Amino acid sequence: MAQNISPEQSGAGGGGTKHSDDSMPVKDNHAVSKRLHKELMNLMMANERDISAFPDGENIFKWVGTIAGPRNTVYSGQTYRLSLDFPNSYPYAAPVVKFLTSCFHPNVDLQGAICLDILKDKWSALYDVRTILLSIQSLLGEPNNESPLNAQAAMMWNDQKEYKKYLDAFYEKHKDT
Amino acid sequence: MTSLDPAPNKTWELSLYELQRKPQEVITDSTEIAVSPRSLHSELMCPICLDMLKKTMTTKECLHRFCSDCIVTALRSGNKECPTCRKKLVSKRSLRADPNFDLLISKIYPSREEYEAIQEKVMAKFNQTQSQQALVNSINEGIKLQSQNRPQRFRTKGGGGGGGGGNGNGAANVAAPPAPGAPTAVGRNASNQLHVHDTASNDSNSNTNSIDRENRDPGHSGTSAASAITSASNAAPSSSANSGASTSATRMQVDDASNPPSMRSTPSPVPSNSSSSKPKRAMSVLTSERSEESESDSQMDCRTEGDSNIDTEGEGNGELGINDEIELVFKPHPTEMSADNQLIRALKENCVRYIKTTANATVDHLSKYLAMRLTLDLGADLPEACRVLNFCIYVAPQPQQLVILNGNQTLHQVNDKFWKVNKPMEMYYSWKKT
Repeated sequence: MAQNISPEQSGAGGGGTKHSDDSMPVKDNHAVSKRLHKELMNLMMANERDISAFPDGENIFKWVGTIAGPRNTVYSGQTYRLSLDFPNSYPYAAPVVKFLTSCFHPNVDLQGAICLDILKDKWSALYDVRTILLSIQSLLGEPNNESPLNAQAAMMWNDQKEYKKYLDAFYEKHKDT
Repeated sequence: MTSLDPAPNKTWELSLYELQRKPQEVITDSTEIAVSPRSLHSELMCPICLDMLKKTMTTKECLHRFCSDCIVTALRSGNKECPTCRKKLVSKRSLRADPNFDLLISKIYPSREEYEAIQEKVMAKFNQTQSQQALVNSINEGIKLQSQNRPQRFRTKGGGGGGGGGNGNGAANVAAPPAPGAPTAVGRNASNQLHVHDTASNDSNSNTNSIDRENRDPGHSGTSAASAITSASNAAPSSSANSGASTSATRMQVDDASNPPSMRSTPSPVPSNSSSSKPKRAMSVLTSERSEESESDSQMDCRTEGDSNIDTEGEGNGELGINDEIELVFKPHPTEMSADNQLIRALKENCVRYIKTTANATVDHLSKYLAMRLTLDLGADLPEACRVLNFCIYVAPQPQQLVILNGNQTLHQVNDKFWKVNKPMEMYYSWKKT
C-alpha cells in the first residue's frame, strides 16, 4: 500500500541520501510525504496536457514523470520519461531529476543528468513536480548553450535543420531506451 | 481610471487580474456569499507545505505569507530570498508575524483539528485509490454489486410498467433503486472515478483501464459535477450538509419501499437528467439496457454524500477547466415567489443568495444545493409544507424575461447561451409545484 509509508522505510528508500549533509534541516518524513501526496493530488486534478507524473511503485519519494517535446521545436512529437528522486529535505532541497529516455540536448548529458539552475542553486521551496517538469519542457526548446553538458549538441544547435536530422537518426538508434 | 495611473515615482507591478478587476461593492445587509473551499484554500495555504498556514509569517517587503516553520527552514537551507518572488530576505528579521491572519484562519476554521482530520481522510481515500491492489479490489466489488443489481432492475421494470402513462416511466425510475446497495455503491463509485483518472496518467495500468470503464455504473454518466455545488458549502459545515444529504437519500428509499410507483407524492428530483445526459458518454454493454436509467436517478440522489472535491474533479470533462468558476446571484422568482409566499416569509432578507461554483455544475445540482442550503439555514423555522423543497431555476437574459432552465444544462452552457456578459449571472428560483 502506498499510503502511510513508514518513515524508516521511506527514509531508506528515498533519494535523500545524497542530500543528507548535516547543514540541511530535515523535516520529519511525514511532512515530506504529505506534501508529495498533495502534489500528486493536485497534479491529477490539474489535467495537465503535456506533462504527467506518478510515484514509481509504492515509494512516494521516487516518481516517474513524462513530458511531451514542446511544440514548434525540434523535440515536438517526442515523449520523454524522467525520474524524480526526492530527498528527505524536500521541498527545501531540489529533487534529483534525470532523463530516463535518452535525450540529445545541450544541457542534458548522455547519462540523463540535467543542467538547470532551478534544480541547483536557483531552487525554491515553491517549485513542485509540475513546475519542474514544465521548466524542463521549456528547457528543451530553449537550451542554454553557454554551459553545455553535451558540447556536440550545443555546437549543432544553431543549424536547426541539421539538428533535427541528427535528432531523428539519434532516436532511431536509441529506440529501445 | 485613476486607479490605473501609477504613482509618479513608483512602478507598481500589477498582475493582469489586478489591472482588470473592479472593486467589489460593499455589502451592508446580511447577504451572505458562498465561497468555494478551493478558492479559499489557495489564500489560506502555505505554498511550501501546501497545508493551511500555521503561525503565519509575512515577508516585510513583498508581503508573501508562509508558516513560521516553513519559511525559517527555507531561509536556513536555501537562498536568502523569498521563495515566492526571490526578493532578498536577509534574515528572519525580514519577516514579521501576522497574528491577524492567524485569527482570520481560526475564525474560518474554528477547529483546526477537525479540518486536519478531514484532510487526512481525503488523503487516505486518495491513497487507497492510488494503490494497484485497491484498484483490483474495487473492480471486483463493482462487478459483484452490478451482478446483484441487475436482476433487481429487471424486476422493477416489470412492476413499474403498471404505473402507466408517460409519467409512469419517470416514477418507475425513482422507485427502482436497489435500496440496500445504494449507499455503499456511492462510496465505491467515488473511488472508481479516481481510478479512471489514475489509470489515465499511468501507462502501465492501461490494460485495466478498459475493465474499469466497463465497471463504472451508468450512474456516473453526466452526474460528474454533482458534488460541485455541495462543495460550495465549505469544509466545516459540509459534514452537516452531508448528513442532510444522506437523510434525504434514505427518505427516498423509504418512500420507494412503501409506495407503489404510481402513487408517489414526492416529485422525482431529477426527471430529465439521466436520459438526456446519457449520450454524452459512450458507455459499454451496461448502458444498452433500457432500465438502467433507474439507477442513474437514485445514485444521483446519493451522490452528494460522497462530496469530496476529488470526486468532482475526477471526471471533470476535458475541455472545461476545473478552475472555471461562475458567479451567480440567486433571487426569488418575482411573481411566483412573491412576498406572501410561505418560504419567502421564512427566509426574509436571506432570499437572495450569492454563489460561486464550478461551471460544470448543472442546473439540477444548483436546485439541489439550494434546497439543501435553505433547509439547513432555516432549520426549525421552515414551514412544514416546505420540507421537501424543489425548485425551478430561471435565467433572465433581459429584465422581465425569465427563461426556465432544463435540469441537465451546465452552468457553463447556460452562461454561454443566455448571459454572455461578464458579471455574475442572475438566476431566479421558484418553488416547483408538483
